Amino acid sequence: MKLKPGFILRTVAGQVVVLPSGEELNLNMMITLNETGKFLWERLENGAETEELVSAMLAEYDVDEATARAGVERFVAKLNENGFLA
Amino acid sequence: MEKYYKIADLTVSMDTFGRTAKQAEPYLLQQHNSADIKIKSNWKQWKNTHPYLSDEDCEYLMTGSSFYAQLLDYNGLMLHSSAVVVDGKAYLFSANCGTGKSTHTKLWLKQFGEKAYILNDDKPALRLVNGTWYAYGTPWSGKYDISVNIGVPIAGIAMLERSEKNEITPWGGREAIFRIYCQTNRSKDEKLGIKILEQLDKLMVDVPIWKLRCNMEPEAAIVAYEAMSGEKWRK
Repeated sequence: MKLKPGFILRTVAGQVVVLPSGEELNLNMMITLNETGKFLWERLENGAETEELVSAMLAEYDVDEATARAGVERFVAKLNENGFLA
Repeated sequence: MEKYYKIADLTVSMDTFGRTAKQAEPYLLQQHNSADIKIKSNWKQWKNTHPYLSDEDCEYLMTGSSFYAQLLDYNGLMLHSSAVVVDGKAYLFSANCGTGKSTHTKLWLKQFGEKAYILNDDKPALRLVNGTWYAYGTPWSGKYDISVNIGVPIAGIAMLERSEKNEITPWGGREAIFRIYCQTNRSKDEKLGIKILEQLDKLMVDVPIWKLRCNMEPEAAIVAYEAMSGEKWRK
């Protein structure tokens, strides 16, 4: 899985934001992430697939596999719907 | 010929012409050592992609974009805004083109008379110097070249929207970050984007941000001034 290029993940004024770089800025492509979202985004930056994301979640957080998988799938689907995946 | 300028308390070298050279004149340095910022303009390249612009406009945009990109390395950033000064403090009003930034700061001039002046009407340089954020006039100050070559501590930044009634509220969080991000340097270069966000993080922690919804009546200036300065307005 790959994120579209040109997005910057950064903490600004206490908020984790994902912002596009470029000359044409679209407010719809600006989002904030929670802690888990940031965790998954950073792995997606390295091209992680669903299974890797689920394993990483299990290693990092105190969750069972079904919950982790559901969370990962929801996050990825949301990114896809909003045009963040390549 | 390459000349040296003092802009935003930085030594800047550039070899320029037309409108840029003219607007930069008040910033000329007689004596200089080495430049903090070296502006290399290749306006002809810009002209290729923007053929409807004149040569000097290409140069103006190109040198400005080079200056503001390098400003990011000196605890600074550009904010697309009109900056007005009252009692030694700068009040910045930012918005998309055509929203009425300059119209709003003109209301301040009307209300405050000689007490107020415009520091920069389009693209002030913002810099964190010794723990204080300053706004500076620059040669890149819009079509009417309204700018003064000094730095003034920033009292606050208001993101301006048109509205029938005048209201101002403290602002922060994601919406404010997104809106301010839209009014600073633009670049496809991700490294530049990261630098912008680093500066924005510091700016938003130190400087009060407001959301100003206003009309074009004189009352708009009073409403904004009273909230942003914490003072009662009096003539």
